[in-house]
Amino acid sequence: MESTSDRFLLNASEALRDTPRAQRRDVMAAFTPLIRNAAVEGFAAFEATRQHVKRVRQHSLDNLAFYLGQFEHEAVQNGMRVHFARDAGEMNSTVLDICQQHGARRVAKGKSMVTEETGLNDFLQDAGLTVRETDLGEYIIQEAGETPSHIVGPALHKSADEIRDLFLQKHDLGERELAATGDMVDEARQVLRRQFLDAEVGIIGSNALIAENGYSMLVTNEGNGDLCANLPPVLVICTTIDRVLPRAEDAAAMLRLLVRSATGQAQTCYTSYYSGPRRAQDPDGPLETHIVLLDNGRSDILEGDYREMLECIRCGACLNHCPIYSSVGGHAYGWVYPGPMGSVLTPLLTSLEASAALPNACTACGRCAEVCPADIPLPDLLRDLRAQESEQRIDAARWRLGLRMHAWLARQPRLYRALTSLAMTLLHRLGHRRGAFRRLPLASGWTGQRDFPVPQGKTFMQRYRQRQREH
Amino acid sequence: MSTSARTDIFARLRHAAGSAGEDVLARRDELGHAPPPALPAEDLAEAFLCNVLRNRGSIDTAADRSAAVKAVGRYVYQHYRSQRLVAGNDPRLAAMPWRDAGVLPRFGALESGEAVALSFARLGVAELGAAVTWTGKGNPAVNNLLPEHHIVLVDVDDLVATMEDAWQRMADAMREQGRPRGVNFIAGPSSTADIEGQLVYGAHGPRHWHVILLGETAPDTGQRARERAAGS
Repeated sequence: MESTSDRFLLNASEALRDTPRAQRRDVMAAFTPLIRNAAVEGFAAFEATRQHVKRVRQHSLDNLAFYLGQFEHEAVQNGMRVHFARDAGEMNSTVLDICQQHGARRVAKGKSMVTEETGLNDFLQDAGLTVRETDLGEYIIQEAGETPSHIVGPALHKSADEIRDLFLQKHDLGERELAATGDMVDEARQVLRRQFLDAEVGIIGSNALIAENGYSMLVTNEGNGDLCANLPPVLVICTTIDRVLPRAEDAAAMLRLLVRSATGQAQTCYTSYYSGPRRAQDPDGPLETHIVLLDNGRSDILEGDYREMLECIRCGACLNHCPIYSSVGGHAYGWVYPGPMGSVLTPLLTSLEASAALPNACTACGRCAEVCPADIPLPDLLRDLRAQESEQRIDAARWRLGLRMHAWLARQPRLYRALTSLAMTLLHRLGHRRGAFRRLPLASGWTGQRDFPVPQGKTFMQRYRQRQREH
Repeated sequence: MSTSARTDIFARLRHAAGSAGEDVLARRDELGHAPPPALPAEDLAEAFLCNVLRNRGSIDTAADRSAAVKAVGRYVYQHYRSQRLVAGNDPRLAAMPWRDAGVLPRFGALESGEAVALSFARLGVAELGAAVTWTGKGNPAVNNLLPEHHIVLVDVDDLVATMEDAWQRMADAMREQGRPRGVNFIAGPSSTADIEGQLVYGAHGPRHWHVILLGETAPDTGQRARERAAGS
């Protein structure tokens, strides 16, 4: 997928001007944490499970070559054909080769952020194939010619009215008006069922790969991924090398965290494990099954300082809890992965230069780290990326100068206190009658959007000392 | 190209993470197990049925196989005023006393126009309120995915508390029978919240999911599960 992460600030400003969408994002930001919290509170072992899964994930990454090898061995035993891809191009051409070997023209696809990362749909379509997304959210944005705004709910940026208009425009509906949400879901169900039956190749992603038995886990509510995995004669699973877990019970433990964090459910409707083609006596199922294991920068991340990011289970909780994501929405981030996890992943998987604004799109509020089921210290990783921007001189020279001056001043406590005291006194004298400044020199970034309250006259340290003396 | 990509990726991983010794599996075992999740009721059957209800499934209980086929017949008649349904070639289903209920399933994979499918679950997982099926002759995958109504029979003897227990049992069965192509944990009718976060049932798969628990259970297990689910 083409990145526009270098335009983050412009994208964000545009998004904020779209009032109806901004209002819907506010609604989502209010209720998604509520349902997640209710689900986590209903599961007393959440924290203990989180720590257990963290140890398991660290162990798997420490021994990734071993477990990837074990997974490959077991998957081959089950009849899977296992492919490796170093980068997006290799994954795309591997998948196209498979489709062409079977003379396939129609592909039915389950939701997969990895294939968004590699731009698989465009690649296959350029080669003359018809690719149909079958997850309802992905189907909607495919019809609209858009990209996902959320890794779990790709079309949550669109209103029901927009989706109704889209269907009215794209489908031959006759007299039907699709008044209720259920009518729209039904319409997609009818259209897509034919696509499942006609497709020659099904493509799905994977939530986890189990090394001990070679199964790939698929977690969905709609059942579309399962239709892709069961109806077409050829199945291709597209995923990345970091998804491997040692044991089935590890996938089970991870699943308990994933569903509660992603949708606030205690359990999703379909959790399936697939490996290999139909067995000798089977009446149905694909005749040939492939899995493509993509690296695309993961082995570099494994070697570097951001290894913990590979423990991400793609639940989207950090998006739902992020004040920046909630304000500007997923598209502003300009690539596949938005929100806090995306602000770490995008620089690592593309380039820090081209996505320098993302690690700065953080208020350091810490909610993402608090809710992250993988216990990834996202604000720390974002801070480290900002430090790296400074070291590599990627950020603006005046920022670096400002930060250097601040750092110097902060190391001279007496001078720092004297200067802040002077500034507070001055601002107080200038503005105490008005109560707030509408404009301030050097602070237009603040006063451009809101008033600056007039300081009370004393600094925190002065008041702190005063209270110490009084008590 | 694929071979060299493989070699290349493994070389990079070994370089990044160090080479794995033979004690990897020993260290894996030292990781121990995840803490067991709490169940909504002490009684396994009640906990299972309670979670099925929370997943928006409907429930019934049948003390024996004759009661089970009657329950199936009642359900199908209630919804379709017919006795038509399809079921996989599961010997346990073939051996049911269908005559008692005046219903006889067509055995095989669901075809276009057929609205009700019946599966006999391998396991029921109380923690999830999920029924587990394996793909294959005994339960073609389409029977789970394409009907309007999916009825699942679960034997009380096949109930387990947790997913770990389920995998333990399945690992034993896989050693004997080989690994199936697919293992499906089904927990509710198909649903989606992709339009404005509004939950709608019947996305791609069944709109209704009906679980019949077969075997001796404590009296009023179904009723207590209903009360418990309603209270939560």
